[in-house]
Amino acid sequence: MADLKILAVDDSPTMRRIIINTLKRAGYNEVVEATDGKDALAKLKVEEVNFVITDWNMPEMDGLTFVTTLRSMEEYKSIPILMVTTRSVKDDIVDALKAGVNNYIVKPFTPDTLIQKIEQILAG
Amino acid sequence: MSGTGDLQTRIQREILELASSINDIVQKFKELKKPLAESHEKVPRATEQLDKINEQTQAAAHQMLDKVEQISQREEELIQGLANIKDLTAKNQLADVGSLVDILIEKANATVNDVFTIMDALQFQDITSQQMNHAASLLEEVEGKLTQIVGVLHGEQDVSEPPISKKDKKTRVFDPHADMSDKKTDQSEIDSLISRSNNT
Repeated sequence: MADLKILAVDDSPTMRRIIINTLKRAGYNEVVEATDGKDALAKLKVEEVNFVITDWNMPEMDGLTFVTTLRSMEEYKSIPILMVTTRSVKDDIVDALKAGVNNYIVKPFTPDTLIQKIEQILAG
Repeated sequence: MSGTGDLQTRIQREILELASSINDIVQKFKELKKPLAESHEKVPRATEQLDKINEQTQAAAHQMLDKVEQISQREEELIQGLANIKDLTAKNQLADVGSLVDILIEKANATVNDVFTIMDALQFQDITSQQMNHAASLLEEVEGKLTQIVGVLHGEQDVSEPPISKKDKKTRVFDPHADMSDKKTDQSEIDSLISRSNNT
């Protein structure tokens, strides 16, 4: 937990604050924010992140494109990715899994669900 | 007689031109049927989204107010409790202080939990923002269609041409199904799907 640096990607400042607050309550204090996929890729160039939480519907670069791009990059082929989104259509979930997300939460989420999914992913 | 004949010919010509113009207008109105029908369909969808936003913001506000009321009540109890501790220590009656402090710690923790519940309920802002963007997008489409219809009626535009936007439109990003409670797939089904996907 001490070594985990999480990148939280969401175009909603409110949602980023909620996610960051939830993470900090659970002891995950190292969190980097990004406003969309494009901003996230720029942050990854300067921050050593080892876990990604991303929204789907975002301007500039949406979450699915961001995940697909990450998985095409050698250094991020295996980085844990949790998608947190309002999208709940089954086809979307399947597309996200195909793109390479490790787990998927539908908003609104409970703090327990968010932390549980992170820990599930970390446990492999 | 030739004058009457010329007049008749001119009248016939005018009537034919008028008939042709009327026919063109009728054609244009027929062509406008589709954009009108599309606009007609989109407006109720936009109002439906707006109603949903109203309901869901109200529900979130009530949820938060419930917690605020509980916190207020508890804060009064905490203040009374602290006053009692002060009283007991002043009278050197320290035996009861420990259990009273435990009660106060429990109340303070409950308040912290309620504060976080309020914070979590604020997720409604992201969801209703998407709903508003959806409604705005539908209304912008209707606006575009109406502008197109007016353009066609004024002869400035053909109905097959895309609507001319008179202003730069904001890029709207949203999930058209975003909802606080109504999910196409619930979290437990998603978990099963992921579990099956990991096992294959």
